[in-house]
Amino acid sequence: MSEMKKIKNLKEFSTSADRFEGANLLCPGCAHSIIVREVLNATNDDLVLAASTGCLEVCTSVYPYTSWDASWIHIGFENSSTAVAGAESMYNALKTKGRLKQPERNPKFVAFGGDGSSYDIGFQWISGCMERNHDMMYVVLDNEVYANTGGQRSSSTPIGSSATTSPAGKISYGEKTNKKDMLGIMAAHNIPYAAQVAPNKWKDMVKKIQKGFATEGAVFINAVSPCTTEWKFDPKDTMHLADLSTDSLVFPLYEIIGGKEFNITYRPKNIVPVEEYLAAQGRFKHLFKDEYKYLIKEWQERVDANWAYLQRREEAKV
Amino acid sequence: MKKGWDEFEIGAMLRTFDGSIDNIAGTSQDDRSYSENSSYTASVADWRLIKPIFNKDYCIDCQFCWIYCPDVSIISRDKKMIGIDMDHCKGCGICAEVCPTNPKSLIMFPEQSEDEAEIASWPAKDEEK
Amino acid sequence: MAFDKIELRDLEVWDGNFAAAQALRQAQVDVVAAYPITPSTPIVEGYAKFKSDNYIEGEFVMVESEHAAMSACIGAAAAGGRVATATSSQGLALMVETLYQASGMRLPIVLNLVNRALAAPLNVNGDHSDMYLTRDSGWIQLDAFSPQEAYDMNLIAFKVSEDHDIRLPAIVNQDGFMTSHTAQGVYPLTDDAAFEFVGTYKPMNDMLDFEHPVTHGVQTEEDWHFEHKARQHNDLMVKVPSKIDEVFADFEKLSGRKYNPVECYDMADADVAVFCLGTSVETAREVATEMRAKGIKAGVVGLRVIRPFPFMEVADALKDIKAVAVLDRSSPNGAAGAMFNEVAGSLINTDSKVLLSGYVYGLGGRDLTKANLVDLYKELQANADAGKLTTQQQQFIGVRGPKLSYL
Repeated sequence: MSEMKKIKNLKEFSTSADRFEGANLLCPGCAHSIIVREVLNATNDDLVLAASTGCLEVCTSVYPYTSWDASWIHIGFENSSTAVAGAESMYNALKTKGRLKQPERNPKFVAFGGDGSSYDIGFQWISGCMERNHDMMYVVLDNEVYANTGGQRSSSTPIGSSATTSPAGKISYGEKTNKKDMLGIMAAHNIPYAAQVAPNKWKDMVKKIQKGFATEGAVFINAVSPCTTEWKFDPKDTMHLADLSTDSLVFPLYEIIGGKEFNITYRPKNIVPVEEYLAAQGRFKHLFKDEYKYLIKEWQERVDANWAYLQRREEAKV
Repeated sequence: MKKGWDEFEIGAMLRTFDGSIDNIAGTSQDDRSYSENSSYTASVADWRLIKPIFNKDYCIDCQFCWIYCPDVSIISRDKKMIGIDMDHCKGCGICAEVCPTNPKSLIMFPEQSEDEAEIASWPAKDEEK
Repeated sequence: MAFDKIELRDLEVWDGNFAAAQALRQAQVDVVAAYPITPSTPIVEGYAKFKSDNYIEGEFVMVESEHAAMSACIGAAAAGGRVATATSSQGLALMVETLYQASGMRLPIVLNLVNRALAAPLNVNGDHSDMYLTRDSGWIQLDAFSPQEAYDMNLIAFKVSEDHDIRLPAIVNQDGFMTSHTAQGVYPLTDDAAFEFVGTYKPMNDMLDFEHPVTHGVQTEEDWHFEHKARQHNDLMVKVPSKIDEVFADFEKLSGRKYNPVECYDMADADVAVFCLGTSVETAREVATEMRAKGIKAGVVGLRVIRPFPFMEVADALKDIKAVAVLDRSSPNGAAGAMFNEVAGSLINTDSKVLLSGYVYGLGGRDLTKANLVDLYKELQANADAGKLTTQQQQFIGVRGPKLSYL
């Protein structure tokens, strides 16, 4: 096991030599790359990375350019998890056989996917990787929509959001179903570590990523990734939206260790009303019409109930 | 001229660096030999409509801009913010938004603005904040 | 921990699946990622058991679908080591997306495809419907007619596929059940000789080389995609055939068994011939011998290398005969047979006047009987005598009900 990188504060963190490059093709203000940088910079160890088809992938590997300063692979929409699991298996095989070129290294295996790739099409592949407990980390860049294909609903899209395949209209408030509890499902594989993170809470995130890297076995991370294009807010406000998401408790930050031990890792001092979070995004604009205002109330009740549940679960240590 | 079918590596594989690199995470971007295939060598400067101008007089090196820049465009070395990589900055404005100083040490201006002129007429401290 | 070797007898009795598993063991495959499906399952079970008994150092990853199996194989191959798997039928169908990705990324992987019918209706027995799903996938495709050949072709496949001038994945086909589950005599190489033939894996653009980070699986749009696809086709057309010839020659030196892209039996003076794949080759050879006793100069052509298709060798094999029947063991579903079309494509623009007819047979494991072939050779002789087709161009044989013929 390699030594954990020391990151006491942001100044120290800023001495990291990035292994992700600019002049990628992600939208201005995209949170994906902020999350990716925080993940990659959390370690100095070598990296074997994969990305599923999606915004991150198509914007960082368009021939003849790559934005990755580490070994990286993309196969398809559904299988970045399994691509990295395959690479990890080869690492184990070559380690046993004494054929590693640089046997002294301690590579970390990380796969990235969007929520479409993770909650939907790649669900089975991720489940397989988690169940087999490969020594790898899977990171969802959760922007709650198929952004790369232009804004279709995924099973991460929250109720009331207007997506292109669940559009708000004269007789519809948009998406009708609740967001899937992916973290809960993945934790139910009894994997060593699962956590929800947000890029604005960088210290919480880096701590969790480092914990994940130090963990032997499968790690699942769900990262909220405010999407300027599909959530419909000004690119400069990405971190503001991330703040609203964590401080309204729409995206509570917690970790689940071994599928059982439950820790809330961030308690906002001032809890922001969910209404403020919704109001900051064009995708929820229609909810502020008189006929749909009840949905905002329901949103708040749902978030309150979930927060109460999470706190009870933490208290009960189950 | 773009390469013909027989002129590139098989499998559409790309190498990030020319030659060998011993310890990427321990090597500053300044000291890496990026290949022509690394997007580090490319520019998205023409995406910008607005651009950040950095006034180091007010900077406290908090590094908020560094960590929240989506485009690896805040150049921090030895815990100091030393400038902006204008080849990679897309002008999103996050850095200026998260800058905590008063007045801000990063402010967005129209792309055509002159840095020196804007720094010379930098806004004063906002007493209401 | 060192692994144990197995002292094999000069002649073993193995079915095609076990023969393939033994080849994977002797090649000391680093990673096998697989998902069970009849009739290919015993190949990967074999690898797993060899590993459990310390006859293999490697990783066996039992994944949750065939798509994941090939996905993991791709990740493992890109990481830099020897990779293999096996599948059949529906499993192959689920895997198809990743087949194109493996070959486009130029990753050497050996896939044992134990040929089986495709549903619906569901069927576990052998035909070549799954084989044709891989037709344009950019993989090298070899065909084994027997357990011996399933063993030999696996060793050959690794050597061709992993060559740095080639770097293309390879499929070894064998007939479901008829080869995969039929025990026959197999002359194996010793463990040392087999491994020496395949050689130690030589990595290329490997993700586990941290001093040379690589990006695999990029996106290329209209200004790059065509060139990459053209390169792949060119390498299949130009580089692979000579490499296969070279490896066949090396294998002959080692084993005494000589293989050719197109296998010809009794073709030197033949008037009529059957062109087929898999276990049908052996049946046809037996019938051809019997037909010769009855005065029909019958021959058999078996296709060893399906991709890259050996156009010149096929044309050469058929150039002097009068009539040939191309047997397709899959339903053409509204076209001439896939193999019929390939053979027709080989002959067009040549001086050959050979009469070409197509026969669809053996779907879902239906036996191709000797009686079927006797009738077929007689039809071919009638065609040869008449100097034209005496039947319709496409016929179904061995199916109950009114006769089916078309074109």
